[in-house]
Amino acid sequence: MNGYHISHSSSRNFPHGARPSSAHPFNPGRLRTPNITDSDMGGAATGNNGGVSAEGVAQDDARVLQFREHYLQSERRLAALFADKDALSDDPKADSHQTSGNSTQNATAPSSAPPKKPARTIDEDDYGDEDDEDGAEPGQTSPLQQKSALAASGRGFASPAAPLSPFNHKPPLHRLSSIDQAKHSDDVRRQAEESKEALEEAAKRSFHTLFYTLENDRVAMLEQQRIDELDRQVEAETSGQEPNGTGNAAVVAAPQQGSLSTANLGASSLMLKHLLARVDGQRHKVHANDTQLRRLISEVRKNRSKWASEDKVNQEELYEAAEKVLQELKAMTENSLPFLNKVSKREAPDYYNFIKNPMDIGSMMKKLKGFQYKSKKDFVDDLHLIWTNCLKYNTDPQHPLRKKALVMQKHTDRLVILIPDLVVRDRAEVEAEERRNASLDADLDGIEDSEDEEPIMASRGRKAPSKTGKKGNATTARKGPNTISEDTPVPDVKPQVLNMASNNSLRNNYLRADSDAPMENGFSTPPPGTLTPLMNGVIVNGAGGSQADASEGEGMGNINDLAVPTEEPELDDQVYQTWKQLTKKARASIAQDRNRMFRNDRINPEGPALLRSKAGMRRWMRQQKKNLPQEESSSDPATPETGKDAAQAVPGETLAEGMEEEDDTLLPDYYDPLSGIPEIPERLSWEEDANGNVVMHNEECLRMIPKGHFSMPQSILTQKMEANMRQMQETRKICAKIGVVKQMQLQAQMYSNQFQKYDPQPFIEVPAPPIVVSDDGPFMAPYVCRATLQRAVGKIFYHAGYEETQPAALEAVTDVAIQFFHGLVQSLNLYNESCKVKTPADGLVKGEPAYQRRFSYEETILHTLDENGVELDALESYVKDDVDRLGGKLGVMHERMRSHLADLLRPALDPNQTGPDGVGFNDQSEQFVGGDFAEDIGEDYFGFKELGLMEEFGLSSLSVPLHLLQNRMYNAHQSQNISAIAVSGTIMEPSAPFEPVTIENIGNEIGIVQQFFLNKLSVNNENPLIEDEDLPVKQRFPKPRLPPTGKITSPRKRPIREQQQMAKKKRKLEEGKEEVNGVIRQPGFVKPTGKLSLDVPTSKENVPDPEKGVDDDAPGMMSPESM
Amino acid sequence: MSSEKTAKYRTEIQQMMFVSGETAEPAPDTTTLVEQIVQQQVMEMLRDCTALATRRGNRSISTDDLMMLIRHDKPKLARLRHFLQWKDVRKNVKETENPPEAGADVAGGDDALGAAVAGPAGPVPAKANKKARVDLVWDVPSFFSEQVPARDDEEDEEEEEMNHATLERLKYADERTKDMSREDYMHWSECRQASFTFRKGKRFREWAGFGVITDAKPNDDIIDILGFLTFEIVQTLTEEALKVKAAEEMWKKRNGQDGKGGKNTKRKREPGLFDWPEEEREPVQPNHIREGFRRLQRPHNKGRALSNFSRQSHRRALRLI
Repeated sequence: MNGYHISHSSSRNFPHGARPSSAHPFNPGRLRTPNITDSDMGGAATGNNGGVSAEGVAQDDARVLQFREHYLQSERRLAALFADKDALSDDPKADSHQTSGNSTQNATAPSSAPPKKPARTIDEDDYGDEDDEDGAEPGQTSPLQQKSALAASGRGFASPAAPLSPFNHKPPLHRLSSIDQAKHSDDVRRQAEESKEALEEAAKRSFHTLFYTLENDRVAMLEQQRIDELDRQVEAETSGQEPNGTGNAAVVAAPQQGSLSTANLGASSLMLKHLLARVDGQRHKVHANDTQLRRLISEVRKNRSKWASEDKVNQEELYEAAEKVLQELKAMTENSLPFLNKVSKREAPDYYNFIKNPMDIGSMMKKLKGFQYKSKKDFVDDLHLIWTNCLKYNTDPQHPLRKKALVMQKHTDRLVILIPDLVVRDRAEVEAEERRNASLDADLDGIEDSEDEEPIMASRGRKAPSKTGKKGNATTARKGPNTISEDTPVPDVKPQVLNMASNNSLRNNYLRADSDAPMENGFSTPPPGTLTPLMNGVIVNGAGGSQADASEGEGMGNINDLAVPTEEPELDDQVYQTWKQLTKKARASIAQDRNRMFRNDRINPEGPALLRSKAGMRRWMRQQKKNLPQEESSSDPATPETGKDAAQAVPGETLAEGMEEEDDTLLPDYYDPLSGIPEIPERLSWEEDANGNVVMHNEECLRMIPKGHFSMPQSILTQKMEANMRQMQETRKICAKIGVVKQMQLQAQMYSNQFQKYDPQPFIEVPAPPIVVSDDGPFMAPYVCRATLQRAVGKIFYHAGYEETQPAALEAVTDVAIQFFHGLVQSLNLYNESCKVKTPADGLVKGEPAYQRRFSYEETILHTLDENGVELDALESYVKDDVDRLGGKLGVMHERMRSHLADLLRPALDPNQTGPDGVGFNDQSEQFVGGDFAEDIGEDYFGFKELGLMEEFGLSSLSVPLHLLQNRMYNAHQSQNISAIAVSGTIMEPSAPFEPVTIENIGNEIGIVQQFFLNKLSVNNENPLIEDEDLPVKQRFPKPRLPPTGKITSPRKRPIREQQQMAKKKRKLEEGKEEVNGVIRQPGFVKPTGKLSLDVPTSKENVPDPEKGVDDDAPGMMSPESM
Repeated sequence: MSSEKTAKYRTEIQQMMFVSGETAEPAPDTTTLVEQIVQQQVMEMLRDCTALATRRGNRSISTDDLMMLIRHDKPKLARLRHFLQWKDVRKNVKETENPPEAGADVAGGDDALGAAVAGPAGPVPAKANKKARVDLVWDVPSFFSEQVPARDDEEDEEEEEMNHATLERLKYADERTKDMSREDYMHWSECRQASFTFRKGKRFREWAGFGVITDAKPNDDIIDILGFLTFEIVQTLTEEALKVKAAEEMWKKRNGQDGKGGKNTKRKREPGLFDWPEEEREPVQPNHIREGFRRLQRPHNKGRALSNFSRQSHRRALRLI
């Protein structure tokens, strides 16, 4: 494959001026074949072949010719490069005359390096194989026999009829010429293939540069369906016939040519050719010798062909090639469609009046499957019959079918070359002949080498003096008797010239016959004649063939007349045409696949899954690789790696490559996205363990969102903002204290929970809980993102001075922010993706204007910001004023607050002495109340020190125990922080609680108060008395306040409740007095009545209780009545 | 609105325009146009203020509302605060020193600094130190629940900023008055006192639509602020119009020969010795004012940022100058 690429690409670049020189060695070689075969007279089949090939080639457009010539030229160069090495590897045992130079002249496949000799040795082996298989003459390895076998087989391939022809009376010469002939017909075939490949290559090259739309696929699909239908039909009709043979006959597979690709493996080489070419190209890497390879290949292909038959020689090759040709013709649906099926009477009622021998591709396939073709000629005749029929019936030169037929004919001519010129024969026959030839060879071996050939060379050299330079060149490259093979070109110059002069094949034939007749006559000896009957048959066929040739020639003329003008419009689109042609089948199948996925314009869920094929994937990779090198030169850091990978993959790839069908290699990648799907990662595969449970691969692929993904990133700005917010919190604390103090100044009474301690917590951004995602992209979770944004908004709010924010406000602002950022990003995108502009000045380096981004990244951002109304000044001033300067302001504010609080608490306090809290005291300490705040300045505030309390009680500090201070401050403080009480001041043990005064222990009291307590007790229903301290708060008596005078001026106040009760009692008494005054009643009745009326005012009316009535009713009833 | 009937501030506007750089006497239709613009602006302001006050749950507008309206124009806001501070100072001075200071009252506009300097040296600076701070509602003190009296030793950095803005104008005024004769200067300083509101409270209230647009009984402060703002409007407008005129003249000077070539050259004569300075010859025309107004009304991108990529059409509100 590679070799082909190289040669083609190099030949492409070749200057056209080199063409004439290179044309000569090639063209004569091509044209010589017909000469010889024509001179054979009996070799009509080969003549046909040659004629066709000549015409076909002549009909090929100049480009193909050119390709071919360049190709050959480069081939020769390559071969010349290898010549030295090959010379070394010459086998001494084999014919020493055949030097390596010989092979260089035979423009063989890319690395046609192995000269004839190795090929020969291979032949030997193969021959041996053959023998083994055939079970005939094992161990015959004498050179003679080898050669004869070689000759036979060579002839067998090139023109099977030749060795058997009656004129073939001089085997050595004939052998050589037939080798040449084989070689040349082979050349022709190869060239045809190459031209085809060149065309395909051209099309393939365009794959990556052109994008073809898919609208033709449907047509292709339909056409392909029609062809398939035809196939099926044919299959159905021929299925009755038994398949021929066991398919085990690689009978005539003995290859003989110098390289593997030229090794005549029959038509299967059409399929194997890629593999072979590849192997050839990398021959030096392969560690097997030719023999082994050959065996390998023949083994591989042994069981492949359905055409193979043990009994028939040549059948496999011929039929495979013929089938290929038919397929290709069929595939040209644009033109072949009318010829696929028989002409029905409905279409053309009078058709069968004109056409006596109708023929169509379908029928041909049937015939092919029925093994009705005995030789290439039969097949070719049938093919031409189709076109001539069409031309005959449709006489109108403007008829569209005519045009199609002509085009098809042209294609046919081109394709027919690919069919090896073989005649199907019975094996027994062939073997018999071989044996005969072997003995003949043995006889004539001696003469072969020198004598006979020299004169030929000489005489022919004389015949064409004009080509001596060429010949000299050629001959210098080779030596010995092989020169005859170069010699033969020389006389053919004339026909070629003639051929060029007049395209009339008929005349051509005549001339050829003229020129070649002497030679034939001169050298040919009478044939063994055993096989004449067959040959006669062939001759008869040959006559038919020549007739066909004539008509074909006419056809060609017609083509030239018609096709040239009609081809004009096609010409500009030729690449497209070629492309369509080449890819039709593949496109059709793909379109069909696609079509299967749909049902009624909807995706068909039950449709079969699309599967990747190995071949497809390989092809895809190959095409990618092919495109890579070009990209590699342009900067791509990734490609070297992939390129390396690919290079590593190559060896493993290639072997399998040839084995599989590569029908659809001609599709550009975009047609086959399926093959381009990368390997599905392991973790996504569906695996089941032994119990049928799905094995989860999640763990391996899951990825944690990095921490801090959803929190504010640390930056100077955020740090400043955080600091500001902390500052605000601190200030608010002081603020709260100021508030408390002010409130206490105003309010007379405190409630325990009136002043909630204000203790803001610093802001901590709670990071998002660990999130696990399964792929690499950004984490998309609208809810989380929104919450994060909302948090940020909340922070900004706080930073702007709001202590609290209503959720609705937060939501609203978050929505606005989201909208704004959407717009921002959208416009950023817009600017970012704006059309590129040409670079102003020096962009024309490569002849193409270079393009650059319209906006630089900076410009993009600036535009975006401007478009969204964000000025840089505003941003800057935000940072400067609203963040930076705000910090300063807040600091000032804090100071102010602190000093204000200090002023409030102690107006005279030196502001310099304020503690860290700003209050002048440590937070929550009792310095102020305890009185030891003045210790620092050495002042004895309460004079405790003077009293010597410290020494007396061993106190650690002189602060007043807090529980001793019964003032509001204390209460307020206590209510705020209850826990703070126990801190200090509980130095002295609290005294044991007083024993409650009861009836029992009243005697212990002082006598004077005993009566007092007794009264109390009686009031209290004999229950023990409770200390004032322990009373509930509301019942407690207010503590007496002692004025500085020490005299209690005002009487002691009663507790509130008592006062209320007293008031009530007083009122009641007054009321009672009034009632008593108004209505005279017995006091004993009053109370119960009142009670009763209070308790059940309603029930009495509804349900009179008889029992109660007995007790209470009388007085109860009485009282209302009395009223 | 017929021009002559409703033109109530013709002289004031003329004076203000003179102070802001217009040298020639503007035509009546110019002043009428200016007056209309100013009136529109004031009404708009009042309307917005009322809306703000209503949102606060208040019926009458406050100074904060007015400040809120011009919150984005920081220099102007600074000037306004400056003005208010000095207004306070003046009030205090008046209270303490019974004889009213003419110099202190003179500055109807932004000439407070000059007024202070002109005032008696002794008591005023002492008072100036205690000048009331005009705090903005959105400023730091409002962050906290307790209001704390400012400490004297704190220097407000913003003061420098507003001083800077004021100084610019003063410098310009200084430039203009440098070469003035005594009479001219008298005229100048007279013009500087021009105000829409000063001692014309009733007229202004009527004119601005108090009682129609908003509460009939505005605060004194509000009237003063409006007086200040109206002066600013006229000033800005005049400056812009002068720029337009300058550009136009520049263009004419460059292309004039082609445009009105014949006439111009004919009419053009050598400037005589006793000619007025050239710029005085042509007062600002209404079209200059209109163009200036248009330029000032040019919407900012900020306003329509949110309607980008949405299909809403953006309704432009009147921009306050």
